[in-house]
Amino acid sequence: MMEEGLADGQNIFECDDVSLELFPHGQRRLIIDRLSLTIRAGEFLTIVGSSGTGKTTLLRLLGGLVQATSGSIRFRGATVNSAPEGVVVVFQDYSNALLQWRSVARNVALGIEGKLDNAEIAKRVNEALQMVELERNADDYPWQLSGGMQQRVQLARALALKPDVMLMDEPFGALDAMTKATLQDEVLQVHARTGTSFVFITHDIEEAVYLGDRVVVLSGPPGRIHKIVPISLPRPRDQIKTRQTPGFLHLRVEIHAAVLNAEGH
Amino acid sequence: MRPSFLNIPGTLTLLAVAAAWEASVQSGAVTFEYLPAPSGIIIALVDLVSSGELAANTAHTMRSVLIGWILSIAIGSGLGLLFGLSAFARRYFLASLEVLRPLPAIAFLPVALLLFSFSLTTELIIIVYASVWPMFVNTMGGITNVSSRLHDVSLTLQLSRRRALTKVLIPAAAPAIMVGCRLCMGTALVMAIIAEMIGNPHGLGYAVVSALQAMRPERMFAYVIFVGVLAISLNACLILASRQLLSGHTREVSHHA
Repeated sequence: MMEEGLADGQNIFECDDVSLELFPHGQRRLIIDRLSLTIRAGEFLTIVGSSGTGKTTLLRLLGGLVQATSGSIRFRGATVNSAPEGVVVVFQDYSNALLQWRSVARNVALGIEGKLDNAEIAKRVNEALQMVELERNADDYPWQLSGGMQQRVQLARALALKPDVMLMDEPFGALDAMTKATLQDEVLQVHARTGTSFVFITHDIEEAVYLGDRVVVLSGPPGRIHKIVPISLPRPRDQIKTRQTPGFLHLRVEIHAAVLNAEGH
Repeated sequence: MRPSFLNIPGTLTLLAVAAAWEASVQSGAVTFEYLPAPSGIIIALVDLVSSGELAANTAHTMRSVLIGWILSIAIGSGLGLLFGLSAFARRYFLASLEVLRPLPAIAFLPVALLLFSFSLTTELIIIVYASVWPMFVNTMGGITNVSSRLHDVSLTLQLSRRRALTKVLIPAAAPAIMVGCRLCMGTALVMAIIAEMIGNPHGLGYAVVSALQAMRPERMFAYVIFVGVLAISLNACLILASRQLLSGHTREVSHHA
């Protein structure tokens, strides 16, 4: 966790020449092609790209859920060959990712049960629920909650682990615009409060600019890095003010053009 | 609408059918030599209850059913877990099991009879052979149908293999496993009755055959109706139990055997 960890700005993830091949139906398919990328501690990195550019696969590689065919991925200097401790993935399909038979609090406790004592578990669950403003729903079941609230439960479950890095795979893709905006701000608050690094996949370009310190534009298939755009908009960001600034509009256009350009490749 | 304990329209229909049956037998409109009227069946049932014969036969059958059921659950869920978790087991051994599955259990009865003669062992072999399958298929299906997303969740939350199994996989498969337990009970009762008719001369199944051979149709009908009521009651008990056990689950999934 951060106390033994890296100062902001040092590399927390290093991907070197990473390729991934899959063999669906016996046919070789290159999904990620010699991709190199470093992610800095405390950074909020957003990744955009059209369908099939390997966004989700890249996230699964970082999370240790699939292994690269060649090249190396290092987390805090150690090669990733299974899900590394300190890294946690938040999935888009919250209703599949939550245990529907467990209450909200017991879902949030899932990753720390048996690893900490009960008092510490209760404290962590409570803190995590507060961060996502769900402390009043601790005893509800996921299927009783709206989509936005269910995604908050998944977020809280990841936060309870106090991770160094949160990997989020289009987490708000299935939510309506209002809920999405609220959750974007909650994620930014968590980022500001905890110093956790975020890797956040989205196909919403505005979302990528609004949240990110850097936006990675992928091209493909096979997935390659097309462009990396630094976002120098000041923090804290504001749903209305930030989105009106000329800088925001300019970046949005630049990244949109890059995504379209990447499709032409 | 809350389901009420007694289905009034359904019960009325049942009573109307019984009344029509009674009327047609009493009036001589229907003249099977051995078709008793419902009133005769009720008298026979009262007689069987008061003599203690029904209770003794039920005790025998229920003992076989429960032993067979528990054995089937143990074997079926054990194998189901193994095959559900291990792609290796599925690849190499599932085909062999699938060959055994469609063989009718009753075809093994002569084999079991020859080896174990008329005995409880014969009865249990037949019960377990038939009712282990719904348990096996539902447990295996329950485990293999767990969303791949939950495997990802177990990995990313750093759950050990044991915790992933006990905290995520088995609970996720629990509704299907409970359906397996219910189907298993139904099959166990049916097979117990058949085995008692042919393989082990005790219990309710043998009582039906004895009543037939003694040409006492009202007793035979009384036993048949009682077995039906027993089957419905056992199923209802298990439905209630699984609702209690799965209170957090919202839906029940079945993988039919």
